[in-house]
Amino acid sequence: VSSPKHQFRGISPQDEMYYKSSDMIKCRDGSNKFSKAQLNDNYCDCPDGTDEPGTSACPNGKFYCRNAGHVPLLLFSSRVNDDICDCCDGSDEYDSKVKCPNTCWETGKVARDKLKKKISTFEEGVKIRKQEVEQAKIAIIKDEAELLKLKDEEKVLKGLVEQLKERKEQIEKVEEEERLWKEKEEKKRLEREKDGTKKTESETTSVGEGKTHKEDNWKKNEAIENYDKEYKQGEGNDDDKIGNWEDSTTDQARMEEEVDSELEAQLSNKPETKASLLKEDTAVENDEPLAKSETGENAGTKESSEEVLRKNDASSELSREELGRLVASRWTGENTEEQSGNMDSTNDSDEESHDISKDTHENDGYASETDDDNQRYDDDLEGDLEDIRDEFRDDSTSSERYYSDTELDSPDVDTQSNPSWLEKIQKTVRNVLKAVNIFQSPVNQSDAANVRKEYDESSAKLSKIQSRISSLSQKLKNDFGPEKEFYSFYDQCFESKENKYVYKICPYKQASQVEGHSTTRLGRWDKFEDSYRVMIFSSGDTCWNGPDRSLKVKLRCGLKNDITDVDEPSRCEYVALLSTPAACVEEKLQELKHKLDMLSKEEAEKHDEL
Amino acid sequence: WKKDEFRNCNQTPFCKRARAFKPGSCSLVAHDVSINDGDLTAKLLPRNQDPDLPSKPLLLALSVYQDGIVRLRIDEDPSLGPPKKRFQVPDVILDEFLSKKLWLQRISTETIGPDLSPSSIVYLSDGYEAVLRQDPFEVFVREKSGKRVLSLNSHGLFDFEQLRVKEEDEDWEEKFRGHTDTRPYGPQSISFDVSFYDADFVYGIPERATSLALKPTRGPDVEESEPYRLFNLDVFEYVHESPFGIYGSIPFMISHGKVRGTSGFFWLNAAEMQIDVLGSGWDAESGIPLPSSQSRIDTFWMSEAGIVDTFFFVGPGPKDVVRQYTSVTGTSAMPQLFATAYHQCRWNYRDEEDVAHVDSKFDEHDIPYDVLWLDIEHTDGKRYFTWDKALFPNPEEMQRKLAAKGRHMVTIVDPHIKRDDSFPLHKEATKKGYYVKDAAGNDYDGWCWPGSSSYLDMLSPEIRSWWGEKFSFENYVGSTPSLYIWNDMNEPSVFNGPEVTMPRNALHQGGVEHRELHNVYGYYFHMATAEGLVKRGNGKDRPFVLSRALFAGTQRYGAVWTGDNSADWDHLRVSVPMVLTLGLTGLSFSGADVGGFFGNPETALLVRWFQLGAFYPFFRGHAHHDTKRREPWLFGERNTELMRDAIRVRYMLLPYFYTLFREANTSGIPVLRPLWMEFPSDEVTFQNDEAFMVGSTLLVQGIYTKEAKKVSVYLPGKQSWYDFRTGTTYRGGITHQLEVSEESIPAFQKAGTIMPRKDRFRRSSTQMVNDPYTLVVALNSSQAAEGELYIDDGKSFEFKQGAFIHRRFVFSGGKLTSLNVGPLASSSTKFSSNCVIERIILLGHSGSKSALVEPENRTVDMELGPLHFQTGQHASVLTIRKPNLLITDDWTVKIL
Repeated sequence: VSSPKHQFRGISPQDEMYYKSSDMIKCRDGSNKFSKAQLNDNYCDCPDGTDEPGTSACPNGKFYCRNAGHVPLLLFSSRVNDDICDCCDGSDEYDSKVKCPNTCWETGKVARDKLKKKISTFEEGVKIRKQEVEQAKIAIIKDEAELLKLKDEEKVLKGLVEQLKERKEQIEKVEEEERLWKEKEEKKRLEREKDGTKKTESETTSVGEGKTHKEDNWKKNEAIENYDKEYKQGEGNDDDKIGNWEDSTTDQARMEEEVDSELEAQLSNKPETKASLLKEDTAVENDEPLAKSETGENAGTKESSEEVLRKNDASSELSREELGRLVASRWTGENTEEQSGNMDSTNDSDEESHDISKDTHENDGYASETDDDNQRYDDDLEGDLEDIRDEFRDDSTSSERYYSDTELDSPDVDTQSNPSWLEKIQKTVRNVLKAVNIFQSPVNQSDAANVRKEYDESSAKLSKIQSRISSLSQKLKNDFGPEKEFYSFYDQCFESKENKYVYKICPYKQASQVEGHSTTRLGRWDKFEDSYRVMIFSSGDTCWNGPDRSLKVKLRCGLKNDITDVDEPSRCEYVALLSTPAACVEEKLQELKHKLDMLSKEEAEKHDEL
Repeated sequence: WKKDEFRNCNQTPFCKRARAFKPGSCSLVAHDVSINDGDLTAKLLPRNQDPDLPSKPLLLALSVYQDGIVRLRIDEDPSLGPPKKRFQVPDVILDEFLSKKLWLQRISTETIGPDLSPSSIVYLSDGYEAVLRQDPFEVFVREKSGKRVLSLNSHGLFDFEQLRVKEEDEDWEEKFRGHTDTRPYGPQSISFDVSFYDADFVYGIPERATSLALKPTRGPDVEESEPYRLFNLDVFEYVHESPFGIYGSIPFMISHGKVRGTSGFFWLNAAEMQIDVLGSGWDAESGIPLPSSQSRIDTFWMSEAGIVDTFFFVGPGPKDVVRQYTSVTGTSAMPQLFATAYHQCRWNYRDEEDVAHVDSKFDEHDIPYDVLWLDIEHTDGKRYFTWDKALFPNPEEMQRKLAAKGRHMVTIVDPHIKRDDSFPLHKEATKKGYYVKDAAGNDYDGWCWPGSSSYLDMLSPEIRSWWGEKFSFENYVGSTPSLYIWNDMNEPSVFNGPEVTMPRNALHQGGVEHRELHNVYGYYFHMATAEGLVKRGNGKDRPFVLSRALFAGTQRYGAVWTGDNSADWDHLRVSVPMVLTLGLTGLSFSGADVGGFFGNPETALLVRWFQLGAFYPFFRGHAHHDTKRREPWLFGERNTELMRDAIRVRYMLLPYFYTLFREANTSGIPVLRPLWMEFPSDEVTFQNDEAFMVGSTLLVQGIYTKEAKKVSVYLPGKQSWYDFRTGTTYRGGITHQLEVSEESIPAFQKAGTIMPRKDRFRRSSTQMVNDPYTLVVALNSSQAAEGELYIDDGKSFEFKQGAFIHRRFVFSGGKLTSLNVGPLASSSTKFSSNCVIERIILLGHSGSKSALVEPENRTVDMELGPLHFQTGQHASVLTIRKPNLLITDDWTVKIL
């Protein structure tokens, strides 16, 4: 073992001087020193392993194998002579039962080829990334400019709305006075004639209401039609879109969801549906107590299943099977498979539809992120959706990607490039205001109607602008990376299908797992980690007996945005890989090139040796 | 813990009734005392017979065995035509034990003390006698001097409900939480009192989570408590301090006292049992005359069915009692070497990729491990012996990859068989009528992981043998020789059954009711599985089967663990008395889930658990599937290092552990021992269950709180102790206040011992086989020490034919000598090894520079070296450098 040829076994070329410099060598940790004869004498003199680089004697030692033709390797000394080949040159098994063939040439070649391939991906990716970064910079400038402009417009419009409001209130005041006077008159007249014509008034109102209603329905229908149209367009454009990182299935899914949510929204307005849902809930209590623990998000549900068990103690209303499932569910926190199907979908799909409507909402860029907390059963929901559909209808002709922020050109925004838009309004308002003589009584009905109409329209516009401002500033607050390379992620969702699940990952928003009709939120956007190599989604749906769900998306360089390898290594803690050009950083490319240079040098040397 | 789901004593008619008995209520008298077939026999009849309604006598048989063991059996008289034969547990007592019977020849008769009637006395051993007092009936064991050791029925609480025909308008049904037990044979319970004389404490009767020394359950100054229950149950989230029984039952109790020593009592009975430990003075108001004024601990034993089949063990030392008990029920099987190393488990490693990932991470962090486990999710729909094709498409390749690194795999096989007509196992079992039947005679249908399930009737040898065949490589598709088995849920756990188990009126072969054999069901399942694995390897490969349920004798079939514990400090704490109690009752190979099964351990707890768990005989990390991943590398570099160090301590000590497993295999003495087993006269140790001995060499103290800065450690005995990490000396016989280190829990090597180690770490124990040894010689005040080392092939049964190395190392007079205490070199089957001793550390010695190896007359260097190769360790202990002595040889090293 200690023949001169082997005395320097396991030492890297850089370290050889350390061992050759003197006769007594220090342990690196300073704890001891040893003589040349003690170097690799298969007895550990240095707790840090300095004296035994070539044997397994020191538990904390490292063994260097040169692996000519491939990359050198530093092994734990526990691998030396353990009858397992670790070094491709076989040098770690110099005194063992196994014969390790030298495979460095072959494995080296494979590694180099792999590396070359990786480098070419990186080279391409770096280019794409550069373009992305450029585009992002422009887009952000544009966003910021838009924001400024919107803020100006908001200011002006606010003023107009204020004026209109004031005028409207004045008119209303006059009208009220007029009405009271009329009522008085009427009363007098009635007293005289004992006959009234009051109904004219109420009729007008009800007709008006009916009209609004009809309009609503019409709008909805058109909206659906438009979705269909959009959907087809999306389909047709699949191939052209490759370069746009736009996964058409995402669009498609979104369309469908939108339609679904529309229907769902209608449904949920029907009282009977609600009642039937409620009824089903109680049915769950009685028949299938376990179904609850599946949907159950917290211990509360678990307890309730326990309650059922207790209640049934004496009377044994539970079937044997139900009891079995119940007790099993304590350990698992879930249902047996047979059950999870039908029972849950009812509960889940309800929730899901709301989730999706929120998605749409966000994607439209017209709602701030914070909205989604309180939107679920918000009375405004219907109205908001209406707004969105309005926008959509108007710009669907001008843009294929209605949800894209950069191209989202609502009529208001559309006209933003045209300064006359605001002026026009201002002018109109001025005219309207002028036309109304509030001191005139009775108020001119058509003037008053004009004021009201202008007020309604302007304030609607104002609120659209405000919500656009809010969503834009919200967007710009995000961390798009040191070079804004992740800007384009803002309006994208990435999907991946693994077995029965579809994973949908929307950076800056949320990530979810969809199985049939049920959606589980894996997490809300949290942040980047590990120098922008990982995206974190946290605080997803709660797990029974476990943590809130979360997702870690690891980024790696690739030419397309592509989600792969979604996994749940620990209960409710998901991980996924995202290939993206955004992760193709120049420094890493240089590193890889350098590595290849080293490898090729080794290769050349090896040839020389031969 | 769902307390309400389980019966307490008041809800258990036989228990409630028996607990109400008053001392002296037994009126039985022994008649017709004689010798028959080498036994002392008698008939028990009430003192005052009702002439119109004569009682049927009970038959008593008292046998005596070598080494001071008395067996007492009481049953109904089969010749009088009882409605049914009462169940007597087969397959637990060793045939070998039965052959040790001493054929009694004569009885001497004596009237003892104030007794009015005579007692029959038989020879037990040189120092002891067994006595049958006729009226009132009592059986006891005494020293020749007359001092009592153990007695049965000295308080007259004996009661035996004979089977009978149901009377009109009598209702035998019992109801509990919607379950009805029809009890077709009616009341058949048995109860009696047992007294342990000169005892300070009693121990044993696992399995439960409670203190090592059993607290009284009844008596003045005792908080009213449930009796200790022995009824195998799958207890969800069991609590850490309760007399309630959990997964297993060993009806064996040990007493220990400073004055006399140790004795033991074992009742071979597999029905539900309840045991009261009676606080002193519990019988103060009974008014009955007691046969002895010796101090004692009284206990009260109740069982629902079966017969009286009891064993008295006289000791007198703790190790004697364990040896006597294991001579009846068997000693621990010799495990394979890999099974004594670290096991990595989780419910569940999801798929092959996950398995490969976890495996590679151990390598990446240079942490050794030997076995990777797969829980129920690896199967195709909880059909055992199958694989989920999507997750585990290539199970054989997966196992081969692990095996290439010397690692093994364990898969789970539970006793519930999915009732699925397309499942061949179920089809075959149904066709052959191999399932346990319900009270109506149909295949019992219960609910467990797979849903509707049936349970094999493992009482039958034919069915066990059939089951064993299922483990052959042909039958268990996807299994390879490196795959071993885990039996869970074998209490049996039945989710929709009464108390989460099988109804008591379910029927086994031969008309045996489940109530009669409940506690032995899991034992049979474990046995059948282990025997199947032996068969699989053509009788050459030692099996490894982990079981959750257990009974007396389980030690012969494999390892057990303490079931579904929780990730909290209290559960870490209670794991020590739990494992110690199992060891005391013969079951050496046990451990608790490191980290705690339920819940997420805080990092400090996880680290402490690894540090303690490294000393469990069975060392496995496990976790519930709802918990976060907790493999050792997931908690930052420092914690990875701490956990790696903890696991490495185990690997370093593998030669020592393996030697201890061999000791348990030959003598029954457990690997982990209560301090009082090693220091039987040191009273301070009697209740200590925070610290324990690993063999007779190492004392370990757990750290059970997060913020602990200081810890009190009592070091027993007169000799001093050496800190396991630093070699620092501590005086024995006092309590030390020590600084708590994050790096390890306190551990000490006893002066006068020699410990064999292997200080090189590998991927797994497999690669350590040829690595050299280190001997740590801890000298006592007379500069002497001794220790042993056992080695065999770690795998086969050839050690039974003498293929092993067994050395004794003795240091005295400045010389260390290696002696052969194994088979002679000429033995036909031989095991050989080229391993050498690379280092000898001398603790408690100083000043020498060199040593002389004899007979070679070679001089070797001595210098200061580190005691351990953990980073930050300094050269501080005297070390003989590279003596390179062959482990197989006789040699002497003389300190110069």
